[in-house]
Amino acid sequence: MTIIERIDQRSTETINGYKVRPGKPLPFGASLIQNGINFSIYSSAGTSCTLVLFAKEQDQPLVEIQIPENYKIGDVYSIIVFDVNPEEIEYGYRIDGPHNPGAGHRFNRAEILMDPYARLISGRDEWGKKPNWERPYPYRARVPFDDFDWQDDRPLEIDPADLVIYELHVRGFTKDGSSGVSHPGTYAGLVEKIPYLKQLGINAVELMPIFEFDEFENSRIHPETNEQLYNYWGYSTLGFFAPKAAFASTGKFGMQVDEFKQLVKSLHAAGIEVILDVVFNHTAEGNENGPTLSFKGLDNKTYYMLTPEGYYFNFSGTGNTLNCNNPVVRSLVLDCLRYWAAEYHIDGFRFDLASILGRDPWGAPLSNPPLLETLAFDPILSSCKLIAEAWDAGGLYQVGTFPAFGRWGEWNGKYRDCARKFLKGDQGQIGEIAQRLQGSPDLYKHTGRSPATSVNFITCHDGFTLSDLVSFNEKHNEANGEGNNDGNNDNLSWNCGAEGWSDDPNILQLRQRQMMNAMALLLTSRGIPMIVMGDEVGRSQHGNNNAYCLDSPISWLDWKLLDSNQSLHDFTKALIHFRLQHPALRVNSFDNKHTYSIDMPGCSFHGAEPWKPNWDENSRQLAWMMTSEPQTTSNEADMVYVAANMAHYASWYELPKAPASYQWILNFNTGDTNCQHFTPGNELAQNGILVGERSIAIITASKIKPESTI
Amino acid sequence: MELSKKTTKGWQVIEVNGQVDSKTVGDLRDYLDENIKGDLPVALELSDVPFMSSAGLRTMLTLYRKTQDMNVKLCLVGLIEEIAETMKVTGFYQYFTNYPSLSALPEEQK
Repeated sequence: MTIIERIDQRSTETINGYKVRPGKPLPFGASLIQNGINFSIYSSAGTSCTLVLFAKEQDQPLVEIQIPENYKIGDVYSIIVFDVNPEEIEYGYRIDGPHNPGAGHRFNRAEILMDPYARLISGRDEWGKKPNWERPYPYRARVPFDDFDWQDDRPLEIDPADLVIYELHVRGFTKDGSSGVSHPGTYAGLVEKIPYLKQLGINAVELMPIFEFDEFENSRIHPETNEQLYNYWGYSTLGFFAPKAAFASTGKFGMQVDEFKQLVKSLHAAGIEVILDVVFNHTAEGNENGPTLSFKGLDNKTYYMLTPEGYYFNFSGTGNTLNCNNPVVRSLVLDCLRYWAAEYHIDGFRFDLASILGRDPWGAPLSNPPLLETLAFDPILSSCKLIAEAWDAGGLYQVGTFPAFGRWGEWNGKYRDCARKFLKGDQGQIGEIAQRLQGSPDLYKHTGRSPATSVNFITCHDGFTLSDLVSFNEKHNEANGEGNNDGNNDNLSWNCGAEGWSDDPNILQLRQRQMMNAMALLLTSRGIPMIVMGDEVGRSQHGNNNAYCLDSPISWLDWKLLDSNQSLHDFTKALIHFRLQHPALRVNSFDNKHTYSIDMPGCSFHGAEPWKPNWDENSRQLAWMMTSEPQTTSNEADMVYVAANMAHYASWYELPKAPASYQWILNFNTGDTNCQHFTPGNELAQNGILVGERSIAIITASKIKPESTI
Repeated sequence: MELSKKTTKGWQVIEVNGQVDSKTVGDLRDYLDENIKGDLPVALELSDVPFMSSAGLRTMLTLYRKTQDMNVKLCLVGLIEEIAETMKVTGFYQYFTNYPSLSALPEEQK
């Protein structure tokens, strides 16, 4: 076949020694083409644009090419530069224009700006390596190849109702020496731990921010301990299209794109989806006192919500707020998510402080936010999970009312709060917990949403770990260097009798039981359960409920806990597998259809007596039974009965009469100090069970096997 | 970069000496295009390659796909540990049969 040479593979002129021609405005960013690179950048109020090319890691530019005015179409400057080596080049832009903050403009030609569409960013290639603070243009855009060989991989598209999510921090998961991996704290390290995740039974990981961020942003030395404090969590995006280089063992070679894709491919091969925690509500540029890195100098007024005086609205609590319902910013967010879904095979996104995405440019909540609608109906994102943290730092709280367009799920903060209160024995929780464990129909049914709208969780990265939830009444954030003033004061926690470390066996036993109770409640609730890294082995942060700045063993997972807390691990693992084996727990409808094959309701509530729940204010006892019809592969209906006793005394729970030819089998009992889970399960001798104080028992009904009827 | 070829145990061996990166990868690609014949399996001898950049690894994978199309076997010989590790964590390693040295190459029947 004869290959016809394209006309646009040849330059039309030479500028400063470089062969160039007018570029293509789309796609935005830098794209590899035959013989060159196409650069495209938007600025509506800028008056001129200069492309700045650096040889890799050099302080001074290789060349500056002012993009000719006739290369501009609309508000987009684009240029093709020929014969540049993409592996050896870093690039940025200078934009000229008015510097008039009162009018919203902050152009400054002296600054070199990063491309908001940069897909590879250098400058923080190895975690914690001290930067050269004098360096001009510290974070530099580069051009990746984006030609990863995915073979037959594609997003898994697991039914949302079947998900069990495990939230983790890429670095914290394997950084501790006890992880035993070859590349601690990296994407590659996480790959080495996939067998662990697989045996645990989870089928989705939710990765705390992996978009490029600067761990040195607001870094400081702890005034008392002299410990270096970092931007460890990374909720402060530098580049929305670039994976964090320092999370890659190959970041020093600029190969983070391939390493992260290999992670996704490996997780998919193990049947585990990848959900990214994405932060679109603000950027790393802060307010008027913050640095100019990209958006501020490109088109400040477009990208940020500004007061009439030109100051930054701060609905994110971090200095600025991205102007997400401006059409240009909306396109950027859409392009970004499409890119991650298509190029990285990402299965879903969790949106940090997502309520901000529903505010208009002046901050008022919109009833039909165009961005949320666009994402909900986008053809490339149609199978992606979209999960909102349905509140923001500006006081908007939308759990149950987040504009969902039939697509959006929510981190259910009300589940967390009620579960915590119920578990510690607060009065007046029975009515609400009954709603929560059904998937919160009180929040979601009336708008036609389903139980899998609700991501149920009791703990997450933000707040106490599960172990600390049962060990501390108060936060202990001294290690953050802010005089214990940061973090939430309202933790709904209970220390079980002593604050923090204790050697009292009764307290330790109660704490262990409470952690198991939490797992039992979470994993028998309808909706999507989410557990946070290390809760399955009782990871503690020593009472720190806001370890955002600690790159230390406080934040890292200590893998030795797998030995010391093996019983909690085994219990959690058994529960996750139990959930996956019991479709009655994963029914994704509020219809509460009757299960005719056994003549039982789909979901029913009970008390110490069957069919008689005690909804009284002082009641701390509730049982629930969830059922579903036989699956195609079985002739047995599914029945799961859970008896929860959060009172400080034991109670006998009489079970509903098992259907004909079925018998009750005890699977879990957190109150049994000898054994908390039974495989394959113990047949109940009587039609009831004594549930110990602050304990949960999980019972299933199975068909009586012919030989046992003889 | 220095490139040479020889035939050993029924393999056409291409010996590469020097760094494989975006500056040298064109020479390697041209040499392979000119010298690889479709009738013998190919062994790339890489023990004198101290570093392989992203562009270099991509050339390896392109070569793999090319030899696959030609129905010709391809293996790598003498890959140093650091490059092998980079290839493993970025997904390039799994495509290749690797031998520690030419003496470990199996005899190939034509």
